[in-house]
Amino acid sequence: MVRLRDIISISKPVRISSDATVDEALVTMIENKTDFLLVNRTGIDDAYGMITKRDLIDGVVSKGLDMTSTPVVECSRKPVVAVNNLDLDIRWVAKKMSNEGVSKLMVFDREDFLGYVSDVDILRAVAGKSSAGRAEA
Amino acid sequence: MSITNLTLRDVVKTFELPTVEQSATVLTAIKTMLENDCYSLIVPRRNSADAYGIVTKKDIMAKVIAEGRDPGKVKVKEVMSKPLLILTNLSLDLRWVAKAMADSGISTIAVFDKGDFYGYVTEACVLEGIYHALRRAKIENGVEFVSC
Repeated sequence: MVRLRDIISISKPVRISSDATVDEALVTMIENKTDFLLVNRTGIDDAYGMITKRDLIDGVVSKGLDMTSTPVVECSRKPVVAVNNLDLDIRWVAKKMSNEGVSKLMVFDREDFLGYVSDVDILRAVAGKSSAGRAEA
Repeated sequence: MSITNLTLRDVVKTFELPTVEQSATVLTAIKTMLENDCYSLIVPRRNSADAYGIVTKKDIMAKVIAEGRDPGKVKVKEVMSKPLLILTNLSLDLRWVAKAMADSGISTIAVFDKGDFYGYVTEACVLEGIYHALRRAKIENGVEFVSC
């Protein structure tokens, strides 16, 4: 069984302020070669958000909104979808992603941001596990 | 702003997507995706009466891994989307390209020009097109391009 702790990316995601506009988010994504941004919270009573390329397509471009005036919060996923059990089987991580319709999950250890896990990480773990099993057999 | 004038012709890309046979297992599909670093695969048709299909990482995540099925046993044809989403009007406004993606939930659309295969348009293509348009607009306005 592969657990969440085996596949989590510890690297910090690129962040963007919650009052930024969508065109700034797009520029930040492309210049940092990333598919998603973590939207900062304004205080401890606020939630973190997440914005992906998919959100930009579905929430802004397809509706014909003006990118320079639409704030990031309007099309971001907020509160962010988070998991905190590091021993969780990746099957349930995958189920969580498909239930919520997201491709990235943030991992929190209590209040501290620990890392994130993407659907590609899960695919890689599944492919790796199967080829390792075949080599042993 | 110039992004409102963008059309499908400005963002479509003529590249080949990797393919996977419909009788192959999902595990083969996953490996093909990882090797090519491309998470949408075309499923070729069997004869001229058949349609092309597409299998994406989202299909595999939702229908195989999340359900606890063995990717070594499930076949591609059980999880793929078919027929492939097609656009033929190259002068289509980018907004409606994005709308087609949003409505179908599929991120890769095949583009045909007068019956001939022309290329693909993906989420990343659309956003790159807008990015370049934003950048051109800033340069034309004489404002130095400042990234965030």
